[in-house]
This record gives sequence, structure tokens and C-alpha cells, in this order.
Amino acid sequence: MATINGKDIRKLVVACDAGMGSSVMLASTLRKQLGKSGVTVEHSPVNSIPADADLVVCHSGLAARARSVAPSKPIVPFQVFLGDPAVTKVVKAIQQGTDLNV
Amino acid sequence: MSELLDRRAVRLDETAADKEEAIRLCGAALVEIGAAEAGYVDTMVAREKSVSTYVGEGVAIPHGTLDGKALVKRDALAVLRFPAGVDWDGEQVTVCVGIAAAGDGHVELLAALAEILLDEDQARSLREATDVDTVIGLLSSVQEEASE
Repeated sequence: MATINGKDIRKLVVACDAGMGSSVMLASTLRKQLGKSGVTVEHSPVNSIPADADLVVCHSGLAARARSVAPSKPIVPFQVFLGDPAVTKVVKAIQQGTDLNV
Repeated sequence: MSELLDRRAVRLDETAADKEEAIRLCGAALVEIGAAEAGYVDTMVAREKSVSTYVGEGVAIPHGTLDGKALVKRDALAVLRFPAGVDWDGEQVTVCVGIAAAGDGHVELLAALAEILLDEDQARSLREATDVDTVIGLLSSVQEEASE
């Protein structure tokens, strides 16, 4: 298990299959929550995760695909699109500049 | 707004025996308003099989796969309400927001939907809405606030 500090996350990517639905919704919520932190939040299809992403969040059902596409990136899987505790932890780590285990 | 959420695609008294039928009804609405080719509906069903599009508060947002994007003619949403509910892998879904999107035209509206679902009262208003104007109003009012 690796650790990343919230301060080192400059670009957060929400990945899903088509980048059309649920990832869009989660990205918009995160953008609002993290607006003040200066973090860029993008949504993307899991097959084309941007190279400069510092952290990737995606549904647990897609985590294996995300890992094969971006093996070097820290990936946080979640189960629920709104209010998932794993995502809440990411937001806290970024806002407070604390360590996050991924 | 009017282009993205065509009132002909807001249908508040639907019934579906199961999740797949509900998804197909959402897809049919998107096809009927000219937002997608008929084949898009199958990609919506396929997408649902990989990961559920249930997002919470009795709402699911079925949409197509990456391949399905080629069958989208314009970005649009359909809002279908199932007053009797639809079993969605153990969750009870009352509102389905079907999405056809090739670009990012619908992003603001989904952002608005997320805001609604994070607010218990607004989420309930959406689930209990019985007229088209209420649904359109709910989604547009939040959108205006969000863009402030």
C-alpha cells in the first residue's frame, strides 16, 4: 500500500467506462468541494486516463481496468457515486494536506 | 436547456417490470426525440451490466458505453419516473435519468442533478414530481445557482 500526501495531488481524475454519466456527476461534485484547493478535477473514460493525473478515482468494478491502463497511478476505488467514504477521505486529505493510503 | 432536456423526454408515469425494461424505456425516449440511433439502447443495457448506474436517493442514470457514443446524434437527457419503483440490484429506483452524450453538453445538467441528490428535500421533490414543469424547473433552478 502506497501513501500520497493531499498536497501533492494537483490533478484528480474520475474515470468510468464512457466518461459520460456517473463519472461526470462525481467530478462535478468534487470540483465544487475542491474548488478552493486549486486542484484540477477531470472526468475521463477509463481507457484514456490522462498521463498527468496524480490520483484516479473510479468505481470498484472498473478498478482492475484502470490499474492496467495506468499501472503507475494511485487509484482509489469507490462503491457509491455520491457520498462514498473512500471519496470523502480523498477530499479530506486534499483539503487538510494529510496523507492518504492508496 | 430546452435542447438538452426536451419536455417530450420527461415522462413521469412509467412502469417497468425490471431494470432492463426501465433502461430500454429511457433509451426509447432518447431515440424518439432524435438524440440517438436505435442501436444506442443496447449499449445502455450493456453498460449497466458492467457497472450499475445507480447513484443514490432512488435515482439511476443509465447511459451507453464508449462505443455507443458513435450512435449519439446530440447530447440529451430523458427523465423517466416510475412511481411504483423498479428493483435495481436491491435498490429501489423511482427516477431514471437516461443520458445520450457525445460531448460535454450535458455536464452542467448532471452537476445540477448531483446537487439535487445531495439535498434530501430536493431529492424528494424530484422523486415525487408529477408534472413536467416541476422536473424541468428543479433541474434548471439548481443549474442557475451552480453557475453563480
